[in-house]
This record gives sequence, structure tokens and C-alpha cells, in this order.
Amino acid sequence: MPGTIRSVSLVWVVLLVCLSSRRTSVGAAPICTNGQVGCHVLSLDNLFDRVIQHSARMHGISSDLHSEFEQYFLPSKNQIGRVGRICHTSTIITPNGKENAQRMAREQLTEVILKLLIAWRDPLWHFHQSISHHHDFNNFSSNKALEMNAMVHELRQGVEKVAEKMQVLGIISNSVTSLASPDVLLPSDSADWRLMKDYDLLYCFRRDSNKVQNFLKILKCRIVPDHGC
Amino acid sequence: MMKSVMEVLLLLMLFFTAHAKEKSYSPPEKTTQTRCRSPEKETFTCWWEPGSDGGLPTTYALYYRKENSETVYECPDYHTAGENSCFFNKNDTSIWVNYNISVVATNALGRAFSDPVDIDVVYIVEPNPPEKLTVVVMEDKGWPFLLVSWEPPHKADTRSGWITLIYELRVRLEEEEDDWEMHHAGQQKMFNIFSLRSGGEYLVEVRCKPDHGFWSEWSSTSYVKVPDFFSALIFLILTWLLHMNSHSLKHCILPPVPGPKIKGFDNKLLKNGNSDEIFSALVVPNFPPASASKYEEMLVEYLEVYVPEEPELMLEESKDLLDGCLKSLNSRSDSDSGRGSCNSHTLLMDKCGETKEEERQTNRESSLMETQGWKEEAINHDTSGKVKTWPSVYSPLPQYGSNPLDKQSSLETAKQHSLSTSSFLIQPGTKDALGPSYTDFCLSNKENHLHPQTLAHRALQTRSDVNISNIGCKRSPATEYVEVQRVNKEDMVLLQPVVSRCGHIEGCPNLPKGEDYSKLKGVDCDNRLLLQREGTGEDVCPCVEQETNREGGNCYTSSTVSTTQKPTACMYTAMPLQEETAVTLNGYVDTATMGNLPSC
Repeated sequence: MPGTIRSVSLVWVVLLVCLSSRRTSVGAAPICTNGQVGCHVLSLDNLFDRVIQHSARMHGISSDLHSEFEQYFLPSKNQIGRVGRICHTSTIITPNGKENAQRMAREQLTEVILKLLIAWRDPLWHFHQSISHHHDFNNFSSNKALEMNAMVHELRQGVEKVAEKMQVLGIISNSVTSLASPDVLLPSDSADWRLMKDYDLLYCFRRDSNKVQNFLKILKCRIVPDHGC
Repeated sequence: MMKSVMEVLLLLMLFFTAHAKEKSYSPPEKTTQTRCRSPEKETFTCWWEPGSDGGLPTTYALYYRKENSETVYECPDYHTAGENSCFFNKNDTSIWVNYNISVVATNALGRAFSDPVDIDVVYIVEPNPPEKLTVVVMEDKGWPFLLVSWEPPHKADTRSGWITLIYELRVRLEEEEDDWEMHHAGQQKMFNIFSLRSGGEYLVEVRCKPDHGFWSEWSSTSYVKVPDFFSALIFLILTWLLHMNSHSLKHCILPPVPGPKIKGFDNKLLKNGNSDEIFSALVVPNFPPASASKYEEMLVEYLEVYVPEEPELMLEESKDLLDGCLKSLNSRSDSDSGRGSCNSHTLLMDKCGETKEEERQTNRESSLMETQGWKEEAINHDTSGKVKTWPSVYSPLPQYGSNPLDKQSSLETAKQHSLSTSSFLIQPGTKDALGPSYTDFCLSNKENHLHPQTLAHRALQTRSDVNISNIGCKRSPATEYVEVQRVNKEDMVLLQPVVSRCGHIEGCPNLPKGEDYSKLKGVDCDNRLLLQREGTGEDVCPCVEQETNREGGNCYTSSTVSTTQKPTACMYTAMPLQEETAVTLNGYVDTATMGNLPSC
């Protein structure tokens, strides 16, 4: 009897391992970039959906953090401080309305998105650092900040892939420059994010993530419209 | 006169001033509850709640400032959106820009500023309800469902991706107020609702919300009625059928457990209590069978044959007959008893003289069937598994004329009771000549004893006269008995007739004078002994041969000789032989050997 039980359980284990390995292999298929063999080719539609979902999630986290901040650190209703707030990304020219956004060329829109994402890489990291060291914040907020930070990275990579794919497909021209350093993007006279308070930083980031999401959606519905648009 | 006029005026002034002091005018109170909403993220409207106006006509003005700008703007449109509102059109609306809005109430005595409100249009989107809600009753495999579809509010631009809306439905039955069933539909613009009540009337409403914003109002209600459907009818029919057949169904599914019944048993008797009566009823009459006649019929049997003059008939009956069949073989004396048994051969030899005498006598005593050639063979099985046979010997009598001579010449097998018989064999060749032939079987492998009276019915008769195709062979003086001459190398017992009349026999080169032999060749598939003619020639003499095992010795083995029509072929009597041959003291060879039998 124990022998049969052992053998049966062994069979189950083997089966499970096989299944899980199969699943992981399917899920972990690398996205083809340069026509590699054995990789999983994503369509542009698919790529767009992924990055849009990613950006939506990123925005959600930033909204949560922002409302938490509002609860715990009720900024005074004194408007002076608030009015004086300037996001360090305000120098990046972004469309402020639908018509403006639709009038913008695809390449420009893509570039704006990438600029925004790149601009937030360092500030978010520092933000996470300051939160984790601050005793007033609980672990939950700290984890969210960390997640936000990671997401900016991933989203940027995703958008770069989308841009690549679009260039390959000839949808956009090759004028989208590979954006390396944030210093290149931001004009030198832009506000230094280091001076920003955490709360303001969160406020700015919440807005910018919303912009990213919206611009991506506009881009997608313009380039690969489907029933979701 | 003047004085009186002056006094009246003063009085009037006082009166009026006093009256006038009852109303107090004040500057207005500030407005409250400034609320702004955008239906499509392209325009927005702000409303405020005026406070007390202080008794004086008050005007309200909305001022706003954009993010990081000191410029104060005033509301461009106070009228489009109604009273106490400010409408910002597309040109004046900037998304992702922080507006700082405040309302100022002004009257003759002063002004009041409301609390400023910061808004970003992105976060104040509250769309209009969805439009063109349609509900259709559809069917899915006989079951109805509602197919609900709608369109986004026409102002919201979802096509360009500017706004992303998610939807929510609610359904209820008309009679159940406030019992709504909510369904979340995501971004899709249609939805299926299942689990409907047939014949019910439903109300459906839908609303929407942008990904970061406020829920819209519920759309206008759609009414739909679900018809009574088809399957209800089927259900009714099925129920009706079930009801009609409920009894038989019950029997089918839950078969009634049979109660125990004993034949002849009366429950009432039991209650009454006389046990004798009760149990007497249980006694089945005629069991076990006691009558002899029945008993006899269950007998086995066998027969033997008729010997005309000499007391060849070996019929034996013994008293044991009656019990014979039912008794075990072993319990009886065996074939060597001298009375002739199933195991022994029918022929009595001189050597076994005394027994022969006895037999003869007994045979004579018994009425016999004078058949002319009864033959039979029986295979006896005893309980030990041996097959014993007593072959009957056929007399090679000439066909015609049944005279004593013939009879004499016939060989017959005296049969006796075999200890156990189980079957008879009739030689095929003789079948034609058979008159009434019967085969009887011993019920069990027991002794069977022949009952003379029954013999007639049971005996297997063959007429050897007809069958004897001993044309070529003049065995006229039929030897009734054979004796064993010797056993040859091949385990064949060579027989010779007792009476050395076989000298006339031609074609029996191997036979010493006056001796007849029958040589058994084998047993065929039907358990018949195949006798071989002596020598190579086929014609002539149907020699009686018998094959027995080595122990034949001097004993006479009974053999059956069958004569066939064909003169050329020897008749073969098949005797099943068993492996062992019991040699009896009396000289009977128990031809119970199967050793040399060819496999069938």
C-alpha cells in the first residue's frame, strides 16, 4: 500500500512539474526583438494593450499614495504653497486638451511619453528612499513607492519596444531619438525635483502617469484602433 | 398752522425711520458648495450655492486662476448651465492644469469670497448616462436570456481613446422594487443576463464611469417581458407522464422485496400453534421416491445378449439390480463376482468354467430375449474413473436363417451387470439391422444390474444375422466365446474362439488351427473398439480381435466382433480401453485400457 501511494504521488509530482514547466515556458517566452528563433512575437496591438495596462496600474498606485498623503499630511489649505508648486516636468510640453493631443504627430506623442517616463526615474527612486527612511510611513506605502519606481522602469522599456515596433512597421519615422539621459531631455532651467516636497512630488507624478496613460491610449486608437476604442 | 404741519412731518419721519430700522441690510454671505463637473473631459461646469444675500440684490462672480499663474480670469459663461453656474467651454478648458476657482458674492453693502476650490478637470469627469439601451430576449438551448446593449454617451469621445468608460448594469423584476441585480460590464457595450423567470417583466438600466471619475446617472429604463417558454410545457408533460406511470416506475426503481414463502406453509397455522399440522403441510408427498418401479427406471443398464442354446445368455439379474444403480460401484462386488459384472466380458470361457455354468444357469432362468444378436456395449464407468466396458461379442452369423445353428454360431456377448455402465454403444454397422433398439443408461456409475424384465426394453438389440457380412467367412459354427490366446508385443490381446470351430475360417493365417483371434486395432473416436483383421488381407474373415492391454494373459477377453456388410472390411468394434486392465481371478480381463488408443 505505501508503495502504491508513493508511486502515485510521484506520478502527480512529475505531472505537476511538467505542467508548470510548460506553463512557465509559455509565459516566459521572450518577446522577439530581432527575429530571434523560439521567441514569442507580439503584435503591435498586443504591445499597446500591455503598456496601457501597465500605465493604468502605475497611475492607480500613484493615486493611492497621493490620497494617503492627503490623509496623513493634510496640507494646509493655505493656497500659497499650493499655487507655487511647480512640477519639474512642466517644461516638457504636453498637449493640454484633446484637440491638441490629436493634432500632435505620432512621433511627437511617443517622444513626449518617453520623456515623461524618463524624467521620473530618479525622482521616484529618491522618493522611495525618503519614504522608507521616514518613520511616519507604514510598510504599505513604502512598498507602493518601490513598486511605482519599478513600474516606471518597465513601462519605459515597454514604450521603447512599442516605438521600435512602430518604426519597424513604418508607422512612425525614425526621428524618435533613443533617449538616454534625463539631463538631455530636461532643459537646464527646469525646477529641481529635489526641492519638491514629497507630497508635491506625488501630486506631480500622479498627473504625469495619467498623461502617459492617456497619450498611450490616444496613440493606440490612432494606430491600431479596435473595439476598445 | 406752520407748527402743526411741522409736527405732522416730524411724526411721519419718525414713523418711517422706525419702520425702516426693522430691515437690516448686510453684505452677502459667501457662497458654498462649489462643485464642478466635466461630462467629457473637454468642458466643465461649476455650480455654487448662494448664501444669504443680506437683503440686497447680490451678484455672484466666479474667478479662477490657472496653475502657477497669477492671472485671474472670470467665468466666461454664467448662463449656459443655469442659475448659479459657470460654464467653461473647450477653449477655456485645459486638462492636467490645476484650476483655482472661487465665487464672489457682491451686494450693495459688501462682498463675500467663497472658499477656493482646486480642481483638475481630469478628476472631475462625470459622464452622461449611456444611450440607446436595448434589451432583447434571446434563447440559448431552450433557455431564455436577455441581450442588453447600449452606446456610450454621445459627448464622450471613446473612439479616439480620449476617454475610457466602464459600464454597469442593473436588472430587476417589475414587481420587486428596489431589488436590483447589479452586473459589471467592464468596457464592453453589451451584456447577457441569464437565469430569468419565465413570464417575468424586467427593468434594465445602465450607467458608466471613466477610469478616474464619477459614475453617471442611470440611463432611462428599458422594459422587457420574458415569454413563457417551451420547456415549461415539456416539464409539465414529463411530470404528467411520471405521475401516470408512477406505480410501474416505483416497481422499476424500488422493486418490491419478495417476502419469504414456503409452499404449504400457512402463517395462520403457525399462529394457531399446532406444530404438527404446520410441519406436516411442509412434507412433500412422494419424496423421496420410494417406489420400486420408479427406482428401476432410474436404473442403468445393460444388456446382454441372448444365447440361444447353450446358456449363452448371460443375462443376469441379480437382486442387486434394484439397488444397483444407485449404489456406488465400489460398494458392490466387482466384476469378478462371477455373476458377470459390467467389467467383465460377456463371454464365459471354459476356463472360467464354473462361473460360466452359473451364469448359464442363471441366464437360463431368466427369461431372455431371444434376440439374435444382441449386442451391446457398454462403457462402464466406475467411480474410480476407469472405463470398463464389456464389449459384446457379435456373432458372425450368417444372415439368413436363424436357426439354432445360427444362433449357435453367433457370438454373443453375455452381458451382465456391469458394475457400472454408463452408455451403450452400438456398432454402426449393425444399426441397420436393428430392430427396436434402445439405449439405456445407467444413472450413475454404479453397478447396474440387468433386470430381466427390463431387458427387453432396454437391451440393445441388433440382429447380427442381417449384419453379419460374413460372407466370406464361414464361421458357421459361431464361436460364442473367445479366449485369449496370447498377448502380443503390441499389447494386443489375441483372442481365439473357445470352440475351435474357427478352423474353417479362411484367411486367418495367424490363427492357429481351431483358434480364432480377434485383434483389436484401436479405439476410434466414438469409443468403439476397432478390431483388426488378422493378416493383411481385408477380405475374409472378420476376425475377432481385441486389443487389450498386456495383462490379457490367459484370460478371455470379451470382444465384440461386428460384422459389416462389407466383406472386405473387418468390423470394428470399438472398445474404449483404459489404462489398466484388471485381471480377475476368474480369468476375465477387464478391458479397461485406453493405452493404445489413438487420440481422437
